[in-house]
Amino acid sequence: MIMQTQAHSGIAAAARSAAPAISVRNLRMGYGARVLLDGVSFDVWRGEIVVILGGSGSGKSSLMKSIIGLYEPMAGDIVIDGRSLVKASADEKAQLQRRLGVMYQSGALFGSLNVLENVRFPLDQFTDLTLEHKNLTARMLLHQVEMASAESLMPGELSGGMLKRAGIARAMALGCDILLLDEPSAGLDPITAANLDRTILAIRRNLGFTFIVVTHELQSIFAIADRAIMLDPVSRSIIAEGKPADLRDHSHDARVRQFFNRQPDALKRRAN
Amino acid sequence: MLTGTASVSGADGAASIRLPDRITAYTAAPVWQSALDTLARNPHRPIIVDASRLEYVDNVGTALLFDLIRRDRPAHSQVEVRNLAVNVAALVREFEPGDFVAPPPGRRPPGILEHLGQATAQQIAYAKQMVGFLRACAGAFRQALTRRSTVNWGDVLDIATEAGANAVPIVLLTGFLMGVIIAFEIGLVARNFGAVIFVVNGVGIAMLRELGVLMTAIVFAGRTGAAFAAQIGTQKVNEEVNAIATFGLDPVHFLVLPRLLAAMLVLPLLTVLADLIGLFGGALVLVTFDVGFLQFYHQLLGAVTAGDFVLGIVKAAVFGLMIAAVGCHRGLTTGAGATSVGLSTTSAVVTSIVLIVVIDGLFAVFTS
Repeated sequence: MIMQTQAHSGIAAAARSAAPAISVRNLRMGYGARVLLDGVSFDVWRGEIVVILGGSGSGKSSLMKSIIGLYEPMAGDIVIDGRSLVKASADEKAQLQRRLGVMYQSGALFGSLNVLENVRFPLDQFTDLTLEHKNLTARMLLHQVEMASAESLMPGELSGGMLKRAGIARAMALGCDILLLDEPSAGLDPITAANLDRTILAIRRNLGFTFIVVTHELQSIFAIADRAIMLDPVSRSIIAEGKPADLRDHSHDARVRQFFNRQPDALKRRAN
Repeated sequence: MLTGTASVSGADGAASIRLPDRITAYTAAPVWQSALDTLARNPHRPIIVDASRLEYVDNVGTALLFDLIRRDRPAHSQVEVRNLAVNVAALVREFEPGDFVAPPPGRRPPGILEHLGQATAQQIAYAKQMVGFLRACAGAFRQALTRRSTVNWGDVLDIATEAGANAVPIVLLTGFLMGVIIAFEIGLVARNFGAVIFVVNGVGIAMLRELGVLMTAIVFAGRTGAAFAAQIGTQKVNEEVNAIATFGLDPVHFLVLPRLLAAMLVLPLLTVLADLIGLFGGALVLVTFDVGFLQFYHQLLGAVTAGDFVLGIVKAAVFGLMIAAVGCHRGLTTGAGATSVGLSTTSAVVTSIVLIVVIDGLFAVFTS
């Protein structure tokens, strides 16, 4: 193999641009009359890894599903690459959604397809590639997430970590450059979780992908996040935004310090 | 759309491939094919891939580049990629050609005899499993009879409501239509022989001994047997069955027994409804053949016996037991994943319907 390289910016240059990859503007969302999030606004820039965190029931996963377009917001807007997801027609919305790769908490692999077929699925649906080329692409994706040896296994035969890694490979298959991951490290052993963090960082480094990661695993947050956005179930909005280490060490908000320092509630502490 | 272009040039006679500025999942197919055609047409020339215009590749584009440079070609006709962006090159270098060597051919596909043997072995294993399950059910039944307080009668009632009371409309509809259809079809023929009154005998015996219970059992298998398999199958997939076992509870006693009892009690009741509404449907049709309701009633009393009715009810209890047992067994033997639940459900319905026909045949032989 011979490769001569030149020092132009390649993927990274194409990826850098002035407009944010995703912009959430004054979002209000909920279920029925119950408002879960109100007045939520933030931008995610290209190549950035943004972690959405908060306690259970703070609306992290719901926010992610709103960004994907699965939930209709009550008010506000979600803008992807300068185009509004909320105001888009059904076709435009489908096009915008194809720009996003999503890994759900359980991996959400199709049970009737093996791992290779699952990763190949988006390529089967949306490209004219030959089977050989689709298989090579899918195998390279599996190699990136260290799942090459599991390509012929069915989802039912995979562990939790393997399901999530295969889910990430499938999310990346269609050339999307924005990945949304819902609780990628939840329920994984420390080594598998660390491997997954390393995979996320490697994908960002090599491909310049933008990540929005919903998690409350502190070790993962410190390992991967450029910026953390913290939601609060009481105020139903963002209570902190910044680098995780800064939030932990310098936040003036007791709730933020409590979260990052894994402190129990004051009441419970007294009771104990 | 920009595609890769190929030409032969240079003093050394190298063939060149010029890549476009973007290669993505949506645009890669023609570029990839054209590049491979160039490689195939020039097996003994060096190949120069000009990536000077290439600004963006996604995973498919990376796969394309990797596919070009991994080709095993003679030393004098290697593929050389020029002017590739540093980070794209780094990306391609992440992979080794050896990583994607085609897997060795698997075992040869089995022949007909091997298939037959495997299928037979599977059926024998299934039969053994079923016998073991039925033995466990019998044990649970025995325990329920001797210690009635161990049965969760609340669950039995809930299941009976869902499987029985909620199934009344569909059972009434199918039973009524069954009576109407039999009376009409037989009536048309019987009228030619002036024997319309004997249609009452046909409708009465058919509904009470066979069709009432058969139709109800088939509806029950499709509705309740499938639900049992899906419910228990989902519990198995979610490890709820394991949790029950870990608490020291017997899944057969806890999950299966209430369903067996409910089905055994409810199917005969539904059958009575189907019998009555079927007879009513038949009587309604026979009015158009000049057989009044009173005439129908008197003819029916002479045509059928209590034995016919009881036979239908006994069959219903046996069918109910069998349908619940098959549904629960399929649920408990569900594998992993949502697909397995679907397979278990389908299998429960198909097995139940086949067994309904077989058991009905046995009843016909032994009671005639």
